[in-house]
Amino acid sequence: MAASTTSAGRRAPAPLIPSIRRAVRALAVRLGSVVFAFLLGAVIVAATGGNPVAAYQALICGGFGLLCTGGENAGLQISNTVVFLTPLIMTGVAVALPFRAGLFNIGAEGQLIVGAIACTAVGVHFATLPTAVLLPLVLIAGMAAGACWAGVVGVLKATTGAHEVVTTIMLNYVAQWLLRYLIIGGPLQLKNGFSVSSPIGAGAHLPRLLPNSNTLIIFGLPASVYRIHTGLLVALAAAAIYAFVLWRTAFGYEVRAVGQSQKAARYAGVSVRRTIILTMLVSGAFAGLAGAVQIAAVDHNLTDKYFADTTGFDAIAVALLGLGTAAGIVLAAILFGALHAGGAVMQADAGISGNLVYVLQALILFSIAANFLRSLKLRLPAIGRATGTPAAEVPATAAVAEVRAALHDDEGIA
Amino acid sequence: MHPGLRIVTALAAAGALLSACGTSGTPAASPTKTIKVGLVTDIGGLNDKSFNHLAYLGLTKAKTDLGIQGDVTESHTGDDYIPNLTNFASKNYDLVIGVGFLMQQAIGTVSGQFPSVHFAIIDGVGTDANGNDLKHSNVESLVFKEQDAGALVGTISGVLEKDGLTPKKSHKISAVGGVSIPPVNHYIAGYKWAAKMQDPTVKVLVGYSNDFTDPAKCSGVANSQISQGADILFQVAGGCGLGVLQAAGQAKVYSIGVDADQKSADSSVIASALKRVDVATYDAIKAVKDGNFQSGAVTFSLQNDGVGYQADNITLPADVMAAVQDMTTKIKAGTLTPPADIPDPTVP
Repeated sequence: MAASTTSAGRRAPAPLIPSIRRAVRALAVRLGSVVFAFLLGAVIVAATGGNPVAAYQALICGGFGLLCTGGENAGLQISNTVVFLTPLIMTGVAVALPFRAGLFNIGAEGQLIVGAIACTAVGVHFATLPTAVLLPLVLIAGMAAGACWAGVVGVLKATTGAHEVVTTIMLNYVAQWLLRYLIIGGPLQLKNGFSVSSPIGAGAHLPRLLPNSNTLIIFGLPASVYRIHTGLLVALAAAAIYAFVLWRTAFGYEVRAVGQSQKAARYAGVSVRRTIILTMLVSGAFAGLAGAVQIAAVDHNLTDKYFADTTGFDAIAVALLGLGTAAGIVLAAILFGALHAGGAVMQADAGISGNLVYVLQALILFSIAANFLRSLKLRLPAIGRATGTPAAEVPATAAVAEVRAALHDDEGIA
Repeated sequence: MHPGLRIVTALAAAGALLSACGTSGTPAASPTKTIKVGLVTDIGGLNDKSFNHLAYLGLTKAKTDLGIQGDVTESHTGDDYIPNLTNFASKNYDLVIGVGFLMQQAIGTVSGQFPSVHFAIIDGVGTDANGNDLKHSNVESLVFKEQDAGALVGTISGVLEKDGLTPKKSHKISAVGGVSIPPVNHYIAGYKWAAKMQDPTVKVLVGYSNDFTDPAKCSGVANSQISQGADILFQVAGGCGLGVLQAAGQAKVYSIGVDADQKSADSSVIASALKRVDVATYDAIKAVKDGNFQSGAVTFSLQNDGVGYQADNITLPADVMAAVQDMTTKIKAGTLTPPADIPDPTVP
């Protein structure tokens, strides 16, 4: 992070070492959280009469296709994991970007849903258009819908100061109920008696990486079971764009400046309101893209599964665990995707309820939060002692910046 | 967490891992070929006190009685249906059972990929994206005449209202459906039809929560019906519907459970409409074991005791019991046929 590297440089004679140390500590906190969660999970499994080794073996099998004992197909397991992690990357970015600007986007789920709705609406209405036209159209529609949904929050925050946590959560409900209306009795319903929408036209399908054929046999199974799709490339591109925008553009600089200190950013000539609105627009576009890709590549129609979908909430954990960096988000998404895919295998093979996966996810989040508080406690006296720092830096502002840095802890990683 | 405490936790976990290692080396050997059955629940999960639970009971009974291997995977989101079904099918299970109408399209897709694996689906058929039955020869549809069960509890409600034995004597009853899909509407159709037959003045309010899992959504619909005067509420919404039973209990009116005997869910439950998903699941497994797998629809009705009713927390008067007995006899004899679609949907 440009701003704080400079300040660290002014403070310490050897500029690189503290930032590296902090990055290593941040990584250690994250890895420690994961290890802690798995150890405590093992205790829970053992305490409830299960076998933790068998449970984790099955979990690894289901997630990565390794150490399988029940005859699972490794390719199938990896493919399932990739299908689950793809939307997590895009929604993870949608949460991480506002974090950088000091905003908490709890509404990635709602933005994902409206993205899926817009993609479906366009894909059904213009079902006969060719791929070259329709596919970009549905993806852009999804991004635009997500951007509008989050943009409302940005405008409210910038103009009335309405807290984005409240408004994003509320808009999640609006999106879910809008979806319920649209596919149950509403204009997108397939036909009476179904709680799904009509399927999108073939031109709106994002292709799979392997042929969707029931007769071609790959790794001993029909090729169509491997649902791994080109949406993965879209997601990786989204992560790369996020990193580029954040570190290599004026907008990214403004986002980080506003996140560090709104006062300082304003003093430096950054329009805080404009940055907040733009941040939410871009963030919503990423989440909307996640929804559109899910429809275009996997589901091909809206279903009642979105009533209880949790991708946008898991994304908060992914963004936190991934330190808000592009590479970190991808890694965290791999972990969460593998946990999701592995949970089913764990239940089928080891007889351990798939709910353990949710316990693990919650424990990871919990220990990140706990460590965050601890590091905050450790840092505060250090700031007080740093009398050699420039007088211009007001202690309170510095403390806020330190808290944000602790939350992001990004130096040397991105 | 305190550093010391963390070390203790870590040690405890390591100890648990080590002790577990010691016991994991003795897998049960099974030299003979056993039939393998995989059960995939819908998002209601195993503890829905409703049809997922019943399917599990059927599987458990088959494990004990038939000596099969039965494994279960719960679906946590709709994204899980295809991976969970595929997981069992790819491991060459003999029968893969999908529980619930919501899994129709997933069953349609996966059964096409694994033509040599038998599939069964409760409450539905294997469909394509347009909702059309693909009629795969490896798919058995276990469907129920829910309207028969609905007619029995509708008869109970109708006679109670006619006799003025209900909490508010309002001649108004209601049903809370999950989503307006055929298995739900069958129940409500039989219920409304039979209640009106017993008490022509009765009004039958019908509402939908558009949800099968969240009790809060169903209690909202139920409370609105109670405020309109309904004093017997029939829940047809799986786990969501438990909210109906509780809302009825709080308002001191009667309720009727669905699928399984839900007597214990709330003291307001006077009867339950039963759908013997356990029987259907068991029969499907037994057929595969005996080599009698049959594709297409297998219908469970009052005729073959595939549906029924259970009287619960109140003692039903003699004339109610007589009317239910009469209805049962007539449906079984074919002289009365409850409708599959809700009669006069616009008139309460």
